[in-house]
Amino acid sequence: MLTEVVQLVLNGLMAGTILAVPAIGFTAIYAVLRFPNFSVASQVTIGAFAGYVANVTFGLPAPVAVAFAFLVAGFSGLVCDEFVLRPMRPAGPLAAAIAAVALTIVLENVVRFWFGNDLRGYDLPVLRDWRFAGLRVSPQQLENGVIAIIAMACLFGFLAFSRMGKAMRAVADNPMLASIKGIDSVAVGRLVSFVGMGLAGLGGMLLGLDTSIDPLTGFRAILTVFAAAVVGGLGSIPGAVVGALTIGVAEELSLLVLDPAYRSAVGFVAILLVLTLRPRGILGERAF
Amino acid sequence: MENYIVAMLVFAGLYGLMALGLNVVWGMAGMINLGLVGFFAFGAYVSALLTKVLGLPIWFGVVAGAAGAAAAGMVVAMVTAKLRGDYLAIVTLGFSEVIRITASNEIWLTNGTDGISGIPGPLRGQVTPEAFNLIFLALVAVVVAIVVFLLQRVRHAPYGRVLRAIRDDDQVAAVAGKTVIRFKVEAFALGCAVIGLSGALYGHYTSYIAPDGFVPLITIYIVLALTAGGTGNNYGAVVGSVLVVFFMESTRFLTEVVPGLQAVQVAALREMLIGGALIVIMRLRPGGLLPERLPRIDLPESNLPQEKKAT
Amino acid sequence: MGTAAAVTALAAPSIVRAQGEPIRLGALNPLTGAGGSYGPTMRKAIEGVVDRVNAAGGINGRKVELAGEDTQTNPDAAVRAARKLIDVDKVSAIMGTWASACTTAVAPLCWESKVFLTTVSGSDTITKLPHQGYLVRTQPNTHLQIGRLGEFLLELGSKKVFVLAAQTPFALPSQERLGEVLKAGGSELIGGVIYDKDKTTFRSEIDQALKANPDMIYLNGYTPDVTIVMRELYKAGYEGGKIGQAYAVNKKLLESLPADVTEGCYTVAPSPSVNSAAYKRLAEFLGKPDLDPYSCQCNDQASLVCLAIAKAGDASGTAIKDAVRKISQGPGEKVDDVVDGLKLLAAGKDINYEGASGACDFDDIGDILTTNFRYEQVQKGAFKTLKVG
Repeated sequence: MLTEVVQLVLNGLMAGTILAVPAIGFTAIYAVLRFPNFSVASQVTIGAFAGYVANVTFGLPAPVAVAFAFLVAGFSGLVCDEFVLRPMRPAGPLAAAIAAVALTIVLENVVRFWFGNDLRGYDLPVLRDWRFAGLRVSPQQLENGVIAIIAMACLFGFLAFSRMGKAMRAVADNPMLASIKGIDSVAVGRLVSFVGMGLAGLGGMLLGLDTSIDPLTGFRAILTVFAAAVVGGLGSIPGAVVGALTIGVAEELSLLVLDPAYRSAVGFVAILLVLTLRPRGILGERAF
Repeated sequence: MENYIVAMLVFAGLYGLMALGLNVVWGMAGMINLGLVGFFAFGAYVSALLTKVLGLPIWFGVVAGAAGAAAAGMVVAMVTAKLRGDYLAIVTLGFSEVIRITASNEIWLTNGTDGISGIPGPLRGQVTPEAFNLIFLALVAVVVAIVVFLLQRVRHAPYGRVLRAIRDDDQVAAVAGKTVIRFKVEAFALGCAVIGLSGALYGHYTSYIAPDGFVPLITIYIVLALTAGGTGNNYGAVVGSVLVVFFMESTRFLTEVVPGLQAVQVAALREMLIGGALIVIMRLRPGGLLPERLPRIDLPESNLPQEKKAT
Repeated sequence: MGTAAAVTALAAPSIVRAQGEPIRLGALNPLTGAGGSYGPTMRKAIEGVVDRVNAAGGINGRKVELAGEDTQTNPDAAVRAARKLIDVDKVSAIMGTWASACTTAVAPLCWESKVFLTTVSGSDTITKLPHQGYLVRTQPNTHLQIGRLGEFLLELGSKKVFVLAAQTPFALPSQERLGEVLKAGGSELIGGVIYDKDKTTFRSEIDQALKANPDMIYLNGYTPDVTIVMRELYKAGYEGGKIGQAYAVNKKLLESLPADVTEGCYTVAPSPSVNSAAYKRLAEFLGKPDLDPYSCQCNDQASLVCLAIAKAGDASGTAIKDAVRKISQGPGEKVDDVVDGLKLLAAGKDINYEGASGACDFDDIGDILTTNFRYEQVQKGAFKTLKVG
């Protein structure tokens, strides 16, 4: 029984680490631009396909392809924000959020138009799990976890030490004060769109490494990503990590008492519970 | 062709009802509800089960469907009363997924993913399919007209003003002595009743409901419809729904003429056009086609004589 | 519209006038949404039949026009698409609906408007709808399909079978039926997990399966989720047998997974033989050696509809309904190709169509009669036929 619980927690932490990456992207954009950019769903898919092209078409190894996924999704996110979402923002955060939903429909179908619906798998060997003390861990998941953690570490380093990173945090904390201090909020907005969507794309590729990808890859993952960001506290970057791990573990542990078919519902019940106790999420809304 | 247009107008009417319900919750009271399709499903299942399984009359099922969705809305609103907008959005989205998952798994009640078929419709089978379509269109048109009329009354009544005050600043409303939570819960329930009404009618129109039909995409269409039509404006909700159905349907004919594409590319192109058209509308008319116009407040003439001249 | 057609007919040369109005058929497949990995080739198979019929001069001299729509794998969208096909394109048959929810949603429109519906949905409930004959399906129902799968497992000597199933209308009925068949043969269904197919990982579900220590796992899902499950089974070090439906464990799945992962998996599909001329012709047309059952079935659905129209000498849905069993079964000459069949019908002969998916013989409610099944095993990343029977 104990081994079983430990195994479930382990599975949940693995799943949560991967989900944390797009969740950070979503929440970082929220922190700076103050609207839920629902188009992360399609950038997750775009990243997964960019990584696929790099890995399978050009034969690059997976860690390099991951960087490619980041760049392509980031660039796509930047362009979409510049031409579609930014002009909507004066009409209010909700207008931008709803436009982002329409944008998701468009982007998902751009991917479908070029690649079709066929499932695609990355060119990777599938490794057997490592076993110890009655537990099993997948080397691939571990590698994905490490990539995710490196990406997050880079982001935290960037936010903590670089000039632009500090500017980003300043805008997130107090846009008015930041503009008085002469921080160019438009440039910061562009940067966060690039980095946030890049992370979404990177997360998409990590998801795809362990499964297969098709134009719905992002859509399947997205409700859990939102849930993670909300549970942790919308706009809080460490919160997104905590939220993703919480949701990941909660979904797995629910299997002890619930039918697996109800697993998606668990995430939302978790949201409700957390928000009832802490209406601003586990870590509140401070960006960093 | 005529029958097709009639059928699509029925769909537009049913979507319009959902958009009207959303308009109460979001446009009037300022709460986001991304769980529309959950309340829609709730109304549909209640009415379908009452009429198909228990053999109760259709009108009863429809009323019960609306009431059931209102009750569900009230519960959701009370549980979520303290949440701020963005959080409410995700919780309500989650609610609709929970409804769909429950409907898929509780086979004893809902027949699971097989869905419920053979839901009775008014005069279905006794008249030709074309006549049934027309009868249903008339029914939906009457229901939409009644709902618009009633909601306009609410909007212009002091009650509607309180809701707008809460929407614009709930703290000010609270200071003015309004029990904000009670108004919010009531508005949420009222909106959900209209959405549930739409769901109940939907089941009686198509004769079949299944969990697969109640996906978040429907919510997305309705939110886009209300935004395109004009949030806060009841007529805008109806116009926006007609517009969304028009986009969804006209793109079939547009994409047919593009040469050299595979079927899947045509399908993808069609969905791109639907999404793109909505973005363009929102860009060109941020307030929607029929932006909200606040009801004129009749002030005493002696204070503002110039107002009289204007009218 | 009638006037316009009449004017065109008058203006056209006499030979065209003799050909009459084109016959209009509809294809309604899942091009987007969860069924998107199947729909596009299903559509191509239907288009292929129509193109060949037209190249051979049409049906009784009338050209066939195909109108295609997307179900979006969503009953709501499917209903709107079907309305367009029925009311605007005036089709007399709709072919290739997938997913039981979409088929059940579209079926009432079809029988009310007297349009013939052919589907690949396998859920038992579909043919029990009051469809008055306006529906046939080429996919065996769950009862037959799982019965044969269970018998095959007994032949393989599987003693302890576990089911990992996606939440679908056939998940639970399949599990119950498999339990019966296994029990009757002295084996046992030791458990089952029904999972949410939209999840991206199923590790804990697989732990549940492995804990029961099965010697055979039945993967009862669709390609996207079965791909993940199979990969995770390999990672978990599972060495027992696996079996899946051929529509899930298909060529695309083999291409997206390394050969080690899929090695030894059995598949079952209703089929005459991969050596049948119809199968080979379709494989050549679609440019791939291994066909999934749905494209085979769509090829046959379009062929059956065309032949039924030729047999009846009338393109209405009611005529197709009344004629379909006259060309799909019975003592007539066996044909496996729509063009050959049209020639024989034109010569006044009786025919019995047997296509790429099977014998295509239907009972009164539109279910497929006992058909041959093909049993295959994945070996080194390719399918090897074990037996047909």
